[in-house]
Amino acid sequence: MRKKKKVPHYGNVKPINYQAIYEEKFYNILFQLRFPLMTVIFFTTLSVLILMIINNKADGVHVLNYFFHTVITLSTVGYTEGYDGNISLNRFFSSMFIIIGFPIAYLYGLVATVNVFMNSNIQEIYRYWRMYKEMNKLKGHYIIVKFNDITKETMRVLKRRKIKFVLIEPDRSKEEEIRKFGVDYYVFDEPHKREVLLGVGILDAKGLVTAFEENTQDIAVIVTARLIRPDKENFYIISTATNEGAAEKMKLLGANEVIVPSVTIGRRIASYILHPPSPTISKFLEKIAYGERTDIDIIEIKIDENSDLIGKKLKDIHMREETGATVVAIIRADGKMKIAPSGNTEIQEGDSLLVLGHPKALRRAEDFFERHIVEDKDEEKEQEEVKAND
Amino acid sequence: MIKWGKVWSDFFIVLALTSNVGFIFSHDPYQLIVAIGVNLIATVLKFGAKKILAAELLATALVADLHLIPATFLYFSGVHIPLAIGLAIGAAVANVISIVLLVVEIIFEYKSEEEY
Repeated sequence: MRKKKKVPHYGNVKPINYQAIYEEKFYNILFQLRFPLMTVIFFTTLSVLILMIINNKADGVHVLNYFFHTVITLSTVGYTEGYDGNISLNRFFSSMFIIIGFPIAYLYGLVATVNVFMNSNIQEIYRYWRMYKEMNKLKGHYIIVKFNDITKETMRVLKRRKIKFVLIEPDRSKEEEIRKFGVDYYVFDEPHKREVLLGVGILDAKGLVTAFEENTQDIAVIVTARLIRPDKENFYIISTATNEGAAEKMKLLGANEVIVPSVTIGRRIASYILHPPSPTISKFLEKIAYGERTDIDIIEIKIDENSDLIGKKLKDIHMREETGATVVAIIRADGKMKIAPSGNTEIQEGDSLLVLGHPKALRRAEDFFERHIVEDKDEEKEQEEVKAND
Repeated sequence: MIKWGKVWSDFFIVLALTSNVGFIFSHDPYQLIVAIGVNLIATVLKFGAKKILAAELLATALVADLHLIPATFLYFSGVHIPLAIGLAIGAAVANVISIVLLVVEIIFEYKSEEEY
């Protein structure tokens, strides 16, 4: 009787274990060594035994000499004869042994053993094995599909921000290029297969970027990924499309953001015409917007409905003194944006704050707002009442 | 149909035990040389096998080797011969475990064949 296992919603697919694939390659090398090593051991044992029988001596010194004699014969070194007395019989045996045993044990056994090691690039197998061993530990990483100019730029930024990612590339011939580029984790496989996505840890990943030149392939990847991680909030899929129609389809199928390169570039050009670029301001904003700078960043913080900051003025919460980050805009619950709010601006329920600053300051700011979330509002009120009574 | 590769490796696994037991009872140097040769071959034959208990089988074979190699040294150096015999008995125990694992593996294989 076997227990019925619970089938996951995306079907009964087993993830590919890339680490195990390379472990198996190593076992295959060992497997090839079986018969060569066996012949060497067999002929060595046989030779020692026959020498013991011929000479009728079984004490330690003689057995060691016979072993030595066998080894120097098999290895074609031949320093000296390992026996004393009964020379003619021993020489006759040695000649026969060299005629029969030498070709098999030396040419097949030893040469094949060396050959296996020479041809099996163990280093390469070990390198991949170690990489996949590390990859299996990743959590909160991003999956990037396809190695091309677009994803290269993405990976460059992610690397600068020390965000981990796994690259899936269907074309193995790009191995050299990928290694030169310096990608930490990569697999060569079809990204639209469920077992591949599971194998690179999609269940623990934060998001996926797919940037094929062809829409159909992107769609296949998006659908597969969304099938495994249906929650749009917790798993972010970004894709590229060649036209608006395909982009719309991709969004309906589960992509969070779809970028149409031609449209994006066209708009960018138009914006340069409309607002002639000032070398300092526009570059500064661009760098913040595209995350190119590592010393400044902008994030959105949503005010929790249980936050005790609601109803307080910005100047009273002392966020800038505590964290070093600055509130540059407030987005109200109705979607209206208040840019550069003054200190007298009141925080209301449903607000989102845009906060600018050094990434470390931003992390402190996130903690700051989290700390101000009160578990139970009634409890707080009770405490206030108690205080008032005192 | 008989799988000849399996006959080959099973033959050496069983022979490793029998030759070892032979040495324990005869205390004969010739038998010891046969035992260690057969044990080494049995170990090598387990290299790279991708079966359910492959790792355990290889481990037991290595244990037997690590008993027999010092036993050979002690025996031929002529000191501590009782210790050499003791080590050979230890190796024989490892060989017995190896055969038990082999039987377990055969049962597993038989069962998995039934499922398909």
